[in-house]
Amino acid sequence: MQEMSSQRATIQARLPFVALFLILMAAYLIINLANFQFFPRSVRQELEKIGNSITNTTLRIPAERGRIFDRDGEPLAFNVVQFRLGVSPALVSDSNGLMTALAEILDIDDFELYRKITSDRVWEFVAGPISAEQGQAIVALDNISLGLEEIPKRFYPQGELAAHVIGIVVDDGLRGALGVEGAYNDTLSGRVLDLSVSNVPFDLPQDRPAEQRGHDIVLTLDRDVQFWVESELRAAVEEYSAFRGTIIVMDPRNGDVLALANHPSIDPNSFLDIADPNLRVNPAINETYEPGSLMQVLTVAGALDQGIVSTFWTYNDEGYLEVGGRDIWNPYFQSHGATDVSSILVKSLDIGAATIALEMGTERFYSTLRSFGLGQATGVGLFAEERGELRIPGDSDWNESFLGLNSHGQSVKVTPMQMITAFSALANDGIMRQPRIVRRVINEEGAEDARPTTIRRVVSAESAQIVTDMLIRVVEDGAPEAQLTGYTIAGKPGTAKISTAVAFEEGRNAKILSFIGFLPADDPQAVVMVKLDRPDGDFGYEVAAPVFRRVAERLVILLEIPDDNVRSRLQAAEADISTGES
Amino acid sequence: MSQAWIQHTFSRKRFRTRNQATALAILGVAILLILGSLYLSQVASFAITNRQIEELIKQRDELKRQNERLIGEIASFRTVPRLFARSEAIGFRPATNADIDYILIDGYNPNRDRLPVASINGTEAELAAPVYDETFGSWLEQQLALLRDQFQSFGA
Repeated sequence: MQEMSSQRATIQARLPFVALFLILMAAYLIINLANFQFFPRSVRQELEKIGNSITNTTLRIPAERGRIFDRDGEPLAFNVVQFRLGVSPALVSDSNGLMTALAEILDIDDFELYRKITSDRVWEFVAGPISAEQGQAIVALDNISLGLEEIPKRFYPQGELAAHVIGIVVDDGLRGALGVEGAYNDTLSGRVLDLSVSNVPFDLPQDRPAEQRGHDIVLTLDRDVQFWVESELRAAVEEYSAFRGTIIVMDPRNGDVLALANHPSIDPNSFLDIADPNLRVNPAINETYEPGSLMQVLTVAGALDQGIVSTFWTYNDEGYLEVGGRDIWNPYFQSHGATDVSSILVKSLDIGAATIALEMGTERFYSTLRSFGLGQATGVGLFAEERGELRIPGDSDWNESFLGLNSHGQSVKVTPMQMITAFSALANDGIMRQPRIVRRVINEEGAEDARPTTIRRVVSAESAQIVTDMLIRVVEDGAPEAQLTGYTIAGKPGTAKISTAVAFEEGRNAKILSFIGFLPADDPQAVVMVKLDRPDGDFGYEVAAPVFRRVAERLVILLEIPDDNVRSRLQAAEADISTGES
Repeated sequence: MSQAWIQHTFSRKRFRTRNQATALAILGVAILLILGSLYLSQVASFAITNRQIEELIKQRDELKRQNERLIGEIASFRTVPRLFARSEAIGFRPATNADIDYILIDGYNPNRDRLPVASINGTEAELAAPVYDETFGSWLEQQLALLRDQFQSFGA
């Protein structure tokens, strides 16, 4: 009994210490708990991450790239899925059976397949990329030793058609390069997502978010026009043994590029197989050239608009002119005596253009060229567009002779897209529209139409009309090869020498022959530029003008442009309707 | 005798006490088992439904892939060279301008509406910005006038 009371006394003596210890421990835990609640955000996130890593798995969801369509909704670029096949040899139960089945599906060597299936490695790559059909056949085998991995692939169903416009994708389909794929990469590419997926079976499965997908793009291109233009270009390059060629078709009323063709072209489906790197650039926007006598039109238009010359203005053509120490000669070194403005364009007289430029003076002349968009990218919406080279007074490498040379397209470099945009402004009553290749962007919220945009008025409607009349005369008297029965065509051939760093190249084929024309001249609905590099032939009217006519023949059918007679009857009928309504 | 009864009573009481505790414990376990099985059945039901949703998502993705593949196949069949070759094979040829007759229909205006053109520099008359000359005072007057009209209409 005494012993028990002694124990009780001991316990009673120690109890406060134990209680104190427990209170301290509880306080410590409470403080830590509170401290945890008020951790800095970064620490809490880190802890949550550790927690999630136990219950969640992070999946990388590749972004589905947006598709590209022509103006009528024909697919030009979209995505297909291919597969990569692997095998876990340790899980294979029937090597011979699996080998036979796979060999039949994949059409590959049996021996090589057997070696992989019976390998000592944990995982062996078997084949890839393999098609979706082959992938489905392999899934149907229902063999646990096989593993299929998806590989997204960009597919261009039209092959070479409009390849330079559409572009390509690189880096396993993640990044666009060239054309629309490159210029609109941010719009098309979507977002690669790292999605945290719960491993807990009763957590709701997560679906990939819709906004992750890239946006679809509808181009201004007309697939049928593009096809015919490419066909005609290919034929022309072969017929004239040209090094290469470019044709652009633009609607001057809204700046829509209806076709843009280069030959030789590329197949974007096998882009990596292209050995020649020069084929990977789009000469219509990525390369510059001296436009030659096409520039005379811009010089004349500017001078007419600024009142420097009129349709009655003449000059005495002596066949030779010196500007800033550089000699300028007419074709065949001919002199033409008293010559009016219209004849300058018909006969392609460099001296006439230079005389007008001298009359304009540097300020007005270069202001005209800038106004026509020379030396600036057009912003058509294609990848890596060149600005061209336009040296102006004040530049270290500009001198007096440039005034004369630039007036007829020498010592100035432009892209074909710049030239057709400038001519489109003349065809559109002097108003320059923003050239564009993208017509509509479609996202998860709907379609967003890109409205045609005006850049500026380049010349007055009256001046544009006078120049158009002159260009009609140019076709009638100077380039009848461009004429199309039933239609009035306005246009101008161009013949340009190819310049090197020190001089012009010598040789019969060392030239670029071109033609820009629009139709119908009284209500232009299409402007066509034909450019052939190093062809057999001497002048643009001999080589490029017939190609223009062949393209125009197709265009009037595809774009449903009636001939002049029908249109005049339509206009009369339209006027009757308007009168009746009023 | 009475003492024996008292002892007996006390011992029964203890027995009853143990019996009640056991019954409570059993009841507790039974309730836990019922709740547990309800929970498990619910979780299993969720898991099955989620599995079905996952399967449906997979099926949807597969159908999407097949759809894309079909679009590709259709696009390949509809390429212009293929259509061209096929039309030639069945006796068609490209039309020329001479093959086309335009028919004028009385009262029909063939010119489609053209899209309005936006201007970068804003000088185009058609894109003149709307003029907002409303002030707070005029807005207040307008609201009061509306209110007055409403009251007048009630009176009428």
